[in-house]
Amino acid sequence: MTSKRWQRYTPTTDEPWNLSRANHLHRRASFGATWGELQRDVDDGWEASVGRLLTGTSRQYGQREDFESISRIIGESAVAGGDASRLKAWWLFRILFTPDPLQEKLALLWHDHFATSNRKVQNLRLMQQQNELFRSRASAKFGHLLHEIVKDPAMLVWLDAGLNQKSQPNENLSRELMELFTLGVGNYAESDVQEAARALTGWRIRNMKAEYNMERHDQGELAILGVVGAFDSEKLCDLLLGQDATSRRLAGTLCDLFMGEDVADAEAIDELSLGLKRNDLSIQWAVETILCSQLFFSDANIGSRVSSPVEFTATAIRSLEMLDNPPSTLVLAEWCSRLGQDLFYPPNVSGWNGGRAWLTSRTVVGRSNFAAAMVTGQLRVPSTTVEWSPSVEKLGRAEQLQKLLLSNPNRQRSKVEAMKLSEFIAHTLSLPEAFVC
Amino acid sequence: MIKRRKFIASSAIISLAPTFPAILTRAAVANQWDSGGRILVVIQLDGGNDGINTVVPYRDEGYAKYRKELRLPDSQLIKLTDAFAFHASLRDVSELFEDGRLSIVHGVGYQNPNRSHFESMRIWHAGSTEQSIRKVGNGWIGDSLSQLNLRGELQAIHVGDESLPSALAGRQCTATTISHASDLSFQLQPAASDHSQPLGDVESNSLTDFLTRSVKDAQSAVEKIQSLLDSGLAGRYPATQLGERLSLVSRLIKAESGARVYYTTLPGFDTHAVQAGNHSNLLRDFSTALTAFMDDMLESKLDDRIAVLAFSEFGRRVEENASAGTDHGTAGPVFLAGNALASRTHGILPSLTDLQDGDLKHNIDFRSIYAAIAANWLGCDLPLTLKDIEPLPLFKLDHVDKTCEIAADP
Repeated sequence: MTSKRWQRYTPTTDEPWNLSRANHLHRRASFGATWGELQRDVDDGWEASVGRLLTGTSRQYGQREDFESISRIIGESAVAGGDASRLKAWWLFRILFTPDPLQEKLALLWHDHFATSNRKVQNLRLMQQQNELFRSRASAKFGHLLHEIVKDPAMLVWLDAGLNQKSQPNENLSRELMELFTLGVGNYAESDVQEAARALTGWRIRNMKAEYNMERHDQGELAILGVVGAFDSEKLCDLLLGQDATSRRLAGTLCDLFMGEDVADAEAIDELSLGLKRNDLSIQWAVETILCSQLFFSDANIGSRVSSPVEFTATAIRSLEMLDNPPSTLVLAEWCSRLGQDLFYPPNVSGWNGGRAWLTSRTVVGRSNFAAAMVTGQLRVPSTTVEWSPSVEKLGRAEQLQKLLLSNPNRQRSKVEAMKLSEFIAHTLSLPEAFVC
Repeated sequence: MIKRRKFIASSAIISLAPTFPAILTRAAVANQWDSGGRILVVIQLDGGNDGINTVVPYRDEGYAKYRKELRLPDSQLIKLTDAFAFHASLRDVSELFEDGRLSIVHGVGYQNPNRSHFESMRIWHAGSTEQSIRKVGNGWIGDSLSQLNLRGELQAIHVGDESLPSALAGRQCTATTISHASDLSFQLQPAASDHSQPLGDVESNSLTDFLTRSVKDAQSAVEKIQSLLDSGLAGRYPATQLGERLSLVSRLIKAESGARVYYTTLPGFDTHAVQAGNHSNLLRDFSTALTAFMDDMLESKLDDRIAVLAFSEFGRRVEENASAGTDHGTAGPVFLAGNALASRTHGILPSLTDLQDGDLKHNIDFRSIYAAIAANWLGCDLPLTLKDIEPLPLFKLDHVDKTCEIAADP
């Protein structure tokens, strides 16, 4: 496409492909990388590096043959035991060990976008099932994701689809479908919400599965966004997917994940939105377009986005090669929750506020305390002294290690020489600039 | 830096500061009504409190009839009126009552009482007995605060180890849990106390300045919380779980967390067997901690801003069981504490001889308490669940008027 804002990145003297940009790529589109992985990427060039991320082959460190089978066992036992904290730990295990971190990153995005909480669903199997949907459709066409999410059992419980009957429509799902999942506020009328609720009637949960019952479906003529006729959920979704407001909102959502504050302006979002429309709302296309763009690798985009608690903690652990004697993901899940991101329990239907809202005094203290706990081995059960890997040891205490741990390590720090390695790492991760990616 | 911290320490109108150590949200600054406004503290008496042995109808002939083992003798009663007495463990709270700083709402409940802890608690949290509303999963506080349209700002803090109570869930309500005071202190001093950096430009909206400011704010907040402890301004609390929790609530209020609602729990009221000793201890914990909190607020001149609500999911069966305990019942008393209370009692003390299936009949709908707190104390438009409910006249009229005034003046 002939897009000005999303033209392909060409390394220049001002914006060269180097360690800082390789780290930026991994901190933004993955959960950080090790020093070795960064060196490899610097050598192989940016296209190879982005390509590896897109194909789920970016990770060298901490990879295990039995990843999927172990993941399955952890997930199954969490669900079978009815223990939500173990399901959170399962997801964090995936985030730390998966060969395809971009997929997990996108799954987190969809969990936030279609925010569903087990607080109400009260069924870990359904929560996990929805989570697998976010994963398998992570970079699919948005339409596939949307069509499936409106029939997803956890979502149906969460937004009271079972109460939405012909005789007594319930607007919960139809409102959020328009306001949060597709169009956004201001792009529909109240009457559209009411009519769309009727279009969504007929679904309920039976034996933990979504079931459609024609008898309960309102087959009357409806008028939604100016279109008159009989509607079912399929037709409603198709109508919403075709709206400009939907592609624009999707473009904005993806930019919130991959772009820093104010980096993608309105024109950039419009262009991305147009491209999305032309590409049948392919998430894959949009992600690739963003990650290959000059804008993505521009100075302004580096270290200009507040990282989420999961990003902050997982990135620290991976960058520092702590997976040989890995932290307890149960403990890690607790930390993420304390830092404001309780997986499977988003605060409300609009998900986490994100961005700067991640940082409050409580969570700033928390991030510093997390770093202290991490370097003193308190993420493990029982806690044990942390032995740093030889390559981390070799990075020493100064510049290089900060280049690994920070997106923008541009300030001189005093008192560094006197510190032990662990202390230095915790100190670095408590700096204001450590909270961005 | 020194100048700024001095300002924080000395200023009574913290909300005017361009930035201040908001413990959890800086958005609170944007809304003076928020940081200067009224605060609700909820104490959930978890497990089903035996209201009959809390607010004791000592003259009711049913009392001696149904309570053989568990009947409190005169020596264990604090007689407050001709009709009822407090359990002797409520000594401190009885003084609040005498001072007009405590209201009792007698016989609170709802139609078709549910005797399951979980279901009844859901009803109390949701503020509705309707299955369809309960299923939505939101709560009366979250729904009410959502009416204020403060999307994104932190509005409620749950203090405790439990998961976030659904009472605080709402479409536009942001709430968080703080388990311990240690959540607000740095483990690592070197990084934390790095004051060498300049304070981020308070006017600037740049991310770099925001980050620097966030860290500085956190440091100030931690120092403030710590200095409250060191200076003795933290109040004197009993060394009990509830005492510690309310002490933390107090420090969060004093540090201007910006939250409108604090929520905490005193568990253990499910007294099916050998109730007497346990119940007495629980009531003492409740009484000493609540009184310490109210006195602390009084000394800190925050008392006009505070209302406390204490409730339980149900009362207990009128007739004691064979294990010197009591089983799940229905209606029970609700407590309110604060300066703005209109009256010492509301409702009618339920009769122990006019029962329904062996349980007390309720005469006050729990939602009328919620409606009063939401509308007349927090200044919220009533959410759908409470819309048609007549608020109980819990608060003094001048307070009610003030709420309307403030609420009308954005």
